[in-house]
Amino acid sequence: MRDTVEQMDYMGTGSLFIVVLVSLFIGMALSLQISAELTALGLKMYTGRIVGLAIIREIGPVAIALSFAGRVGSGITSEIGSMVLGHQVDILRVHGVSPLKKLVTPRVVSAVLMLPVLTVIGDAVSLLGGYYISVFVSHQSGSFYWSQIRDIMNFKNIFSGIIKPFLFGYLIACISCYMGLSARGGARGLRKATTSAVVISTIMIIITDFVLTRLLLFALGERV
Amino acid sequence: MIEFRDVTLGYGDHVVLDRMSFKAQFHEKVAILGGSGEGKTTILRLVLGLVRPDDGKIFVNGHDITELSETQLRDTRMNFSIVFQEGALFDSMNVRENVAFSLREYTNYSENEIEKRVRSLLKRLGIEDAIDLMTAELSGGMQRRVAIARSLAAGDPRMMLYDEPTSGLDPLTAENICKLIGDLSKGEPPDRPGFIIVTHKVTDAARVAERFMYIRNGRIVFDGAMDALKNTADAELRSFISELHVA
Repeated sequence: MRDTVEQMDYMGTGSLFIVVLVSLFIGMALSLQISAELTALGLKMYTGRIVGLAIIREIGPVAIALSFAGRVGSGITSEIGSMVLGHQVDILRVHGVSPLKKLVTPRVVSAVLMLPVLTVIGDAVSLLGGYYISVFVSHQSGSFYWSQIRDIMNFKNIFSGIIKPFLFGYLIACISCYMGLSARGGARGLRKATTSAVVISTIMIIITDFVLTRLLLFALGERV
Repeated sequence: MIEFRDVTLGYGDHVVLDRMSFKAQFHEKVAILGGSGEGKTTILRLVLGLVRPDDGKIFVNGHDITELSETQLRDTRMNFSIVFQEGALFDSMNVRENVAFSLREYTNYSENEIEKRVRSLLKRLGIEDAIDLMTAELSGGMQRRVAIARSLAAGDPRMMLYDEPTSGLDPLTAENICKLIGDLSKGEPPDRPGFIIVTHKVTDAARVAERFMYIRNGRIVFDGAMDALKNTADAELRSFISELHVA
């Protein structure tokens, strides 16, 4: 339990700054792009709706998961990998402690719990970034922006956005732990394992996102 | 007793151990010598079942351990305590927590009892003052002592396994560690706990061991006592142990 709480702090509190920073700029950039395009079509009042949908259902979960894989995934692999190379994992086994229970389970549980929390925070910050651009750069009505955000806050959109980080967190933690436990061959081996963990996690996030999106559209009865 | 019977192990194309066979009693003081990458540490990991051989059998107390599960290996591992190179201490814990680790895992002692035992072990090894230090604050010699304390905390091993216990240490600290290793295996066979020390430092091995093995290309090319080692006809081994003649 202590290990899990420690990991939750490292993954959650420790990732908060990067998540807020990334989300803020993604929200602002997205709002800029969309309002520019919609202005040309005379539809810029719909900026909030499109920004909100894109962030809640797709960009928020994926962008935050990618940041999480870069920071937390690489950290997990390098930490466990150095424990393998430094024989601390051997010491655990000699003392009858399962590395799966001691090292893997707390990290997987923490990632599954903390990534959704970070995603909710990141989505909120992105929407604030979008609001700032819509109101102060694109000169739209702030209350209309939020009313459109409220319109899209239905079960389908929230469920689609919140289910993904659970799976992404599980994937990132499992891949990173596996690569760490497989590390061999000194500093070079550790570097290879860490790089592989981030690359494989990134690819898996992108592919899983597509598959999940397809499944969710089908399951929630939404037509494409 | 430990017995290796035609043990072969490789990583990819590289053969680390090539049909290696030997027997060692728990009370023996054995030094396994060899150059870097000759598989010395691998032998200790095989004894503990931390890695399985590609071929051959390993017997501990007459039981083949090569097919045992992780749970079944627990009883076998109780016969041994291991001190890895550099100590392999948990760097997120202080000295107290490192030494208490096995007591918390193996026993139902109260926190008071654990504290008492940890202090007693650290006192025996001369590092009681370091109890609250983090491992990064320890010198190389202190790290080895803490690692030895942790290995002893789990119980009374029948045999200690030391992986390069003096590497990276200055000569004086290395001598102190050798003295400690000797003290921990005091007594008359077969009642004393023995050890296997793997090292490339011949003079340190000569300080503590009674039986010497030399590994080359995954095979034991020498197995005998100090006199035989000093008079070996093998030119490469003579060169390896040249420090002994100087001493």
